[in-house]
Amino acid sequence: MKTEIPLSKPIRQFIRVTETLLDTEISLLRNPEADPNGTLVDVYTYNIDKNVILFPVHYMGLLKDFIIARHCIRLLIKGAAVKKSRYLVCSYTKNSMYKGIHQIYIDALKDEAKKERKLPVIKLIRMLNILYTSFNDDINELPWNPITNARIYHRMPSIRKTQLYYLMKESKKDMDEMKEYEDIIPRRYFVLNKSMFYARDQYLAKTLPADELMPVINIPQMKKFNHLEVKEMLTTRWTHTSWYQSKIFGDAMLEIMEKYLQKIDWNAEDTIDYFYDIYQSGVLMTNHFISYMSMKDWFVWESPQHLQEVQLKKAEYEHEALKKIFGDLIGESPGDFTSES
Amino acid sequence: MTSRDVDGLLKKGRAYAGRTKYKEAIAYFDKALSLDPANPEAWNFRAGVFIETGRNTEALADCERAIALNQNFADAWIKKGHALYNLGRFEDAVVACTRALALNGNDASAWYIKGVCLDELGRNDEAGEAYGKSLELEIILDMEAEKRKIGKYPA
Repeated sequence: MKTEIPLSKPIRQFIRVTETLLDTEISLLRNPEADPNGTLVDVYTYNIDKNVILFPVHYMGLLKDFIIARHCIRLLIKGAAVKKSRYLVCSYTKNSMYKGIHQIYIDALKDEAKKERKLPVIKLIRMLNILYTSFNDDINELPWNPITNARIYHRMPSIRKTQLYYLMKESKKDMDEMKEYEDIIPRRYFVLNKSMFYARDQYLAKTLPADELMPVINIPQMKKFNHLEVKEMLTTRWTHTSWYQSKIFGDAMLEIMEKYLQKIDWNAEDTIDYFYDIYQSGVLMTNHFISYMSMKDWFVWESPQHLQEVQLKKAEYEHEALKKIFGDLIGESPGDFTSES
Repeated sequence: MTSRDVDGLLKKGRAYAGRTKYKEAIAYFDKALSLDPANPEAWNFRAGVFIETGRNTEALADCERAIALNQNFADAWIKKGHALYNLGRFEDAVVACTRALALNGNDASAWYIKGVCLDELGRNDEAGEAYGKSLELEIILDMEAEKRKIGKYPA
C-alpha cells in the first residue's frame, strides 16, 4: 500500500497485515461517487491486479478508517477461501431463478386472495423480479456483516465510537428498506427480510458491550440517544416499529447466527487458517438461513465470476421464468416486465 | 493580467484536480502563480495537488509560501500538517495542525491528522481527544450529506 491519505495507526497496521497474509496490494481511493458503505473491488472477484477500497470524499478520518477495516476483513475472508480452497458466493441459474420467482408468485397469489384492492399485474410481475434479486443481494451480504463488526469491535477499540454511529445508521436504513413496498410484497417475504436485519442488530447488541459504545453525546443530532445503551438503541427501535412481528422469525435467525458465530475466537491471531474458518462459518450460516427461509432451490454456490456472468443475463432469465409462469401474457422480448425495465 | 484571469486559472486547476488530472491541474496553478506569485490561494491549491501526488517536500514549500503571504490561512496550515505527517515529522505536524485549529476549530481533517500524529508520538490520551473531536465533526458532515441526498435541504 502506498497512499498519501492519513491513516490511524491500527488501520495502517491492519492493511499491512492483510497485504502480507494475502500477498497482495491494496489501494485506497477517495471518490465523489462512492457508496456511503465504501466499495471493495478485489482481485478475487474481478479480473484486476490489485485491490481497491473506494470511499466517499467527505470521509476523511475515522469513518474512512472504519470502512477500510470492514473491507479489509472481507478481503481477508475472501483471500483465505481462495488460498485454502475456493471462494464461492450465492449465485443463480436460469432454473433456480425460475424456482425462486415461481415460489414468490405462489405466495403473492395467496396474499392477493385476501386483499380487497388487487395489485395490477404489471406491478406484481415487477415485484417478483425485484424481490428475488433483493434476497440474492442480501443473502450475499448480510451474514458477513456481524462477522466484520464483531471482529472490528474486539480488535480495534479505537474505532468503536465510529462503529456505533455506523451501526445506528445502517440499522435505520435496513429497517426502512422495503417500507414503501409493504403493501405490495407478500407478507412472508417482508417479514423474512426484516427478520434477517433484526437478527443482525440483536446479535450486535448482545456482542458489543454497551458501556464502551456510548454515543458521541456532543453531537446535537445524537443527543436523543444520550444515556441509552447500544443494546437499547438497537433493540428498542425495533419494538417501536411495525416490523415487530418480525420478532419470532428474527429470534430464530438470531439463534442460527449465534450457533455459528459463537465458535469464533475474535481475539485469535490473524492467520489464513483463522480467516478460512471464519469463511466456513459464514457459508454454513448462510446455508442455514437459506434453508430456514425455504429458499434452498433459489440459489447455487458458485464463483463470483459466475454471478457476474448471470447478472448480465438476468433480464433474459427473468423473461424466461415469467414466460413459464404467465405464458402468452408475457411478450417475446425481455425487458417488458423485467426488474431493469 | 487581471485578478479574474488568475481566478479563472485557479478554477480550472481545481476542476482538473477534482478529477484527479493532477498534471493538468499543476499546469494551471503554475500559470496562475507566474501571473500572481503573491496569491496565497494559488500556492495552497498547488500544495494540495503535490500532496496527492506524493511530492510532500514541494507541498511543504508551497504551504510555507502561502502562510508567509497570509499567516491566518487555516487551510494552508492543515496542508502543512498533512505534508509534515507524510514526511514523518510528527511533532511539527502537531504544531501545524494546532495552529490550523486555532484558526478554524471545525475542521475534521485537522483534528484527525493531529490525532494520528499524537498516536504516532505515543501521546495516547491527547490522540484520543483529537480523534473524538474529529469524529464528531465528521458525523455532522455525514448527516448533512445524508440529508442532502434525501432532499431535505438543497446542496
